[in-house]
Amino acid sequence: MNDLDELKSLLFGAEKQVLDSIQERVQKPETRVVDVADVLPEAVRMSHRQGKELVRNLRDPVGQCIKESFHAEPQEYADALYPVMGPAIRKSITQTLRAFAQQINQTVEQSVSARGLKWRFEAWRAGVPFGEYVVQKTLLYRIEQAYLISRENGLLIEHVHHDASRIKDSDAVSAMFTAIQDFVKESFSPDRTGRLETADMGDFTLWAVHGPHALLVCVIRGVPPRSVRTDLSAILERIHFRYGESLRVYSGDQASMGGVEDELRDCLELEELQVEEAGQRRPPVALIVLALALAATLAYFAWQRYELAGERARLLDGLNSAPGYFVAGVERDGRRFSVSGLRDPLAPPLSEIALTAGIDPARISADMRPFQSLEEQFRLQRAVESLAVPSTASVTVDGKVLRLSGTATREWLDRARSLTAVAIPDYEFDDSALQLAEIAALHDDVSRLASADFYFVEDARFRESDVQRLTNHAATIRDIADRARRLGLALEIIVTGHTDGLGAQEFNERLAQRRVDAAVQQLLRAGLDPQLIKPSIDVGAAGTAGALPTRRKVDVNLALSGPD
Amino acid sequence: MNQVNSKVCVVGDFAVGKTSTVERFVNNHFSDKYLTTIGVKVDTAEVDLTQDLKLKLILWDIAGTTEFKHVEMAYLRGMSGYILVADGTRLTTISAARELKTQIEATHGELPFVFLLNKSDLQHAWEVSDRQREKLVNEFSSELFVTSAKTGDHVAGAIARLAELIAERELFGPQ
Ligand SMILES: Nc1nc2c(ncn2[C@@H]2O[C@H](COP(=O)(O)OP(=O)(O)OP(=O)(O)O)[C@@H](O)[C@H]2O)c(=O)[nH]1
Ligand SMILES: [Mg+2]
Repeated sequence: MNDLDELKSLLFGAEKQVLDSIQERVQKPETRVVDVADVLPEAVRMSHRQGKELVRNLRDPVGQCIKESFHAEPQEYADALYPVMGPAIRKSITQTLRAFAQQINQTVEQSVSARGLKWRFEAWRAGVPFGEYVVQKTLLYRIEQAYLISRENGLLIEHVHHDASRIKDSDAVSAMFTAIQDFVKESFSPDRTGRLETADMGDFTLWAVHGPHALLVCVIRGVPPRSVRTDLSAILERIHFRYGESLRVYSGDQASMGGVEDELRDCLELEELQVEEAGQRRPPVALIVLALALAATLAYFAWQRYELAGERARLLDGLNSAPGYFVAGVERDGRRFSVSGLRDPLAPPLSEIALTAGIDPARISADMRPFQSLEEQFRLQRAVESLAVPSTASVTVDGKVLRLSGTATREWLDRARSLTAVAIPDYEFDDSALQLAEIAALHDDVSRLASADFYFVEDARFRESDVQRLTNHAATIRDIADRARRLGLALEIIVTGHTDGLGAQEFNERLAQRRVDAAVQQLLRAGLDPQLIKPSIDVGAAGTAGALPTRRKVDVNLALSGPD
Repeated sequence: MNQVNSKVCVVGDFAVGKTSTVERFVNNHFSDKYLTTIGVKVDTAEVDLTQDLKLKLILWDIAGTTEFKHVEMAYLRGMSGYILVADGTRLTTISAARELKTQIEATHGELPFVFLLNKSDLQHAWEVSDRQREKLVNEFSSELFVTSAKTGDHVAGAIARLAELIAERELFGPQ
């Protein structure tokens, strides 16, 4: 140590020691490794949390590592992946197969043969889908025994069987099967990768499913469907998954494989179920309920259909028998009916017919064109309506006779008669009870003019005023006579001459005659038909007290009598 | 009671008495007829080791051979131990057994085994001299058994010994 160093050590003694130790740590790889190992986990954690940088940088080297170890130890990876890959691959295959199976089902289902129908019925009775039933019918099998055998030494790990099929020494069977397996492989498989997977002997089939450490051998009665192999594989995989390491190192100690029997028993249950399904399964309650509900619904619909058909028939009957309807069609749309055809406006309304048929009129829509029915009641009704009967008269139908009563004008009567003759020629027209309005009016006029007196001053000389009155009266009578003649009535004009009765009878009679003649003269002058005039005299009783001037007169009376 | 299953292979040259030995041990029966084994014949036998441990031996009686081919190698896979059988009336079968043992050890490592020098009842035809026998004792020590499938001599003892070896190895692992 020189002076300078001594000085250094005096000045920076402590620092130099620290420096030296740091230098030593940095230069010695072992210490560096320890240091890095200390912080590495935390560093990785933090870096990962901060972002994707670490993952990105590790991807290539880690990928390379995995790739290389795959190459170096493929078997290890295969064994490790076996429990994972099996289910994944099988799932995909199962889906494909299922679609395929469905296709087959459809094909089978579409085929209609005598046997197909029989099976269809049986499947329905057993409550099994038809396709499934066909499979059961064609593939009946039962797994009698299952052996789980160590691949390494052929030792039996577990053996399950149905009670009936006890066999003597399953250990020997297991070993023998392994020996046969080895023999077959060594003898017939050039590269020794082949495996004995099935063997047939009489009613039995032997199936072997191979796993990395164990194989599952099943003795099956009958012909199992291919899908059973998938189920067996799944069971074997599950066993591998659960007992992986124990299986690999299995050397005959069954205690190391506790519980594997239950796993293996699944093999037997798997197909026991299938066997039962073939015969004993009853349709589930839900299916029965569903079937009943379906039947009830169908019955309801059938009943409703029947009911609706009945309603339709009744409606049609009603329409056909109703006057004034011509039905072209009655369509049913759900619960509604629509009627099309012809309807006389005089016919009863459609709603009335619907009600008679027991159907709510709201459920009926109609497309009816109007027409005139020639049915008797409509002809009659229409004819009567066309008569425009005046309020003073009335028409009644009595059998085939149309009876008129009351009063009406001749003009109306003539028109009514001709209308009736055209519209209802088969009816008789009885107007005997009908009074013509003209005749009534004439009678009125006649009764009003029934009696009129015309006075004389003396002798046969009219009073001045009565001359003119008689002239007027005569004109009125002439008018009435004209009307009576036109109406076919007989009019009598009775002219009676009177005296006051004073004086001699004979004188008075002559005087009365002269007075009548004077009056008739006047009437004739007015143009009256002389044949209508009936003259007579009334001289009054002789000897009555006083001479009454009011008896110096003639009176003119009218009498109307109907056509005989 | 605990039961452990173990696979045991019976190997050796043709007609040394492998099948006869297994038949004697399993069914306590012997036949003079020679029916050569083809491939493999499997039998099982239980050996009580302790009061609560039983070993079930799955005995693979493999067709006689002087050298394992692929098929036989496959048969050996996963065995816990093996029985070497030689015929005391034919010296060549002893060297064949040695060959087979070497082959097994090359592929499976050291495994429990017993060496059976069979047909001890056939004294007139016995070819193994005392010197040769001494050599075999040195070579296989307590694993060597001179047996007779015909009379049943030492058969059960030999197999019981193998069961013990296997159990030891199972419990304590390979030494
Ligand atoms: N005397 C006698 N004969 C035996 C004995 N063991 C087997 N044998 C006979 O040997 C022959 C072959 O016996 P196996 O048991 O079939 O021989 P292996 O080893 O199974 O023959 P492979 O299956 O062909 O390999 C048979 O005829 C047996 O009866 C024994 O311990 N004593
Ligand atoms: Mg044999």
